[in-house]
Amino acid sequence: MRLGYVAAVFGKEWRDLLSNRLLLGAVAFPALIFAAIPTGLVAFIQARDLDPQQLGQIQQYIAAFPNVPAKLAAQAFIITNFMAYFLLIPAMVPMAIASQSVIGEKVARSLEPQLATPLEVPELLAGKTLAAALPAVVATWAVFGLYGLVNGAIADPRLTRFVFSETWIVAMLTLVPLICLFSVLLGIIVSSRVNDPRTAQQIGGFVVIPIIGVAVAQFFGGQATFTLQQVLIGDLLVGGLIGVSLVVGAWAFDREAILTRLA
Amino acid sequence: MIVVEGLRKEFGQLTAVHDLSFTVGDGEIFGLLGPNGAGKTTTVRMLAGLIAPTAGGAIVNGHTLGEGSQRIRALSGILTESPGLHERLTARQNLAFYGRLYGLRGDKLAAAVERYLGVVGMLEHADRRVNGFSKGMRQKIAIARALVHEPEVIYLDEPTSGLDPFAAKTVRDFVATLRELGRSIVVCTHNLDEAERLCDRIAIMQGTLLRVDTPAALRRHGRNASVRITLNGARGPESFLDALVAMPAVLGAQTRDGDLLVELTDPPLETPDLIARLVAAGARITEVREEAATLEEVYLRLVGEAGERDARALTGDEEAA
Repeated sequence: MRLGYVAAVFGKEWRDLLSNRLLLGAVAFPALIFAAIPTGLVAFIQARDLDPQQLGQIQQYIAAFPNVPAKLAAQAFIITNFMAYFLLIPAMVPMAIASQSVIGEKVARSLEPQLATPLEVPELLAGKTLAAALPAVVATWAVFGLYGLVNGAIADPRLTRFVFSETWIVAMLTLVPLICLFSVLLGIIVSSRVNDPRTAQQIGGFVVIPIIGVAVAQFFGGQATFTLQQVLIGDLLVGGLIGVSLVVGAWAFDREAILTRLA
Repeated sequence: MIVVEGLRKEFGQLTAVHDLSFTVGDGEIFGLLGPNGAGKTTTVRMLAGLIAPTAGGAIVNGHTLGEGSQRIRALSGILTESPGLHERLTARQNLAFYGRLYGLRGDKLAAAVERYLGVVGMLEHADRRVNGFSKGMRQKIAIARALVHEPEVIYLDEPTSGLDPFAAKTVRDFVATLRELGRSIVVCTHNLDEAERLCDRIAIMQGTLLRVDTPAALRRHGRNASVRITLNGARGPESFLDALVAMPAVLGAQTRDGDLLVELTDPPLETPDLIARLVAAGARITEVREEAATLEEVYLRLVGEAGERDARALTGDEEAA
């Protein structure tokens, strides 16, 4: 794979993305929403004390934070529990960018001139994948950083420590990029077979269901947040899915199939 | 130089092209004429290394299709049927992107982009996004994109489509200069007038090649060439008929609308002798012109005959079944 060619595709995709305000909004909006909801709840608790009855109802959850006051434990549970939803950003955003990127080019018929150059299909896909994954990774990391700092500032500095835990730093550095990559590959596979971005996003939308399932199971299981072991298992699982997607993607994004399916 | 030998392409049950053999020399403009679905685009895609042939092969400037396809793509420039530009990028960014994909970098890239924006007359719109461009402006940028890396072999699918007459002439003139530079050029077009004016040789195709020849030879295809001679003087044209039919080169002679109409096997070669004979016989000649079929007539006849053959073959197959 020649890096100059990958960089050329990446540069073009990046320029294209930066000029598309709607798509930029699709990157930023979900990330901010997922961070704003728990931050609002923390601010709400900070502004008024919880009565003993309410504390009794969430006793099971705040027990995960034994060495801090009950109010801080409740806030800590909220901010750490909601962090599972941060994994939705790398699942949703790259899918939207990738499907727009491939289907947009199919509709504009701009894939054929690119495939007519010495560019190889893996180089084209690598450039597109990086360009679709990077905004989501950067957005997730940025919101993660802000989330920890803002909650620490509005409530208690110890909340920042709960957010920037060893487990979540590992999750941000491994699981987030892996989910991004899987989401992009899925977006490319689906987009190579359909000609409508909405259809592609609807089909690709199924990728968020397992993540929501994990987040909901975590809540009802009374677990405040993931353990390091669960994050590593997640890494392996998503890594395996990426392996399968690469094989399927190479078959789906065949130069000839793409060209002859353009009509 | 392009050498094509027995090229065939199937898509499932559909045979798009078959038994395609021809050559395109250096410095030659070769036209592919045919109705929609005749296989012109499929042929160009195969020759440009975009899709693989089912059978047969081609050698493009010494590189064999298949193993040398990446090299073939590097030395080829292709104007696709649809401009296929990146809408959110400017004209300059579009060209620079493709320049990079063809391996140009730095000053060389910037100079090539500038040069070809100038060639197609788009320098003043270079930094505008192409999504605001007219069809003709897009076509100009697509042409510049096909040429930005100075390709040795050029494929142009409907090069003047959407262009105003002035811009179309500019493009035709530029393509003619590329011929002078020794490039091999394949032009797909429905525009018979353009094919006749631009191409050194024309292939009329429908699934396979029906006829390949120079435009002049194609116009004479299927019938003897005739020369129409207009006379001025007291003697009527019928008085020269006997003198003409005695000439070995003359296949037939008659009068039509007050002129002499003489059938010859090779008018450019035989017309001087014909005129000399008429003058010696006392004719006062005011005009001599070759009477040939238009390229359109030849095209319609050849494609029509091919259509009838296909229909008969299909009926025969069904009856046999």
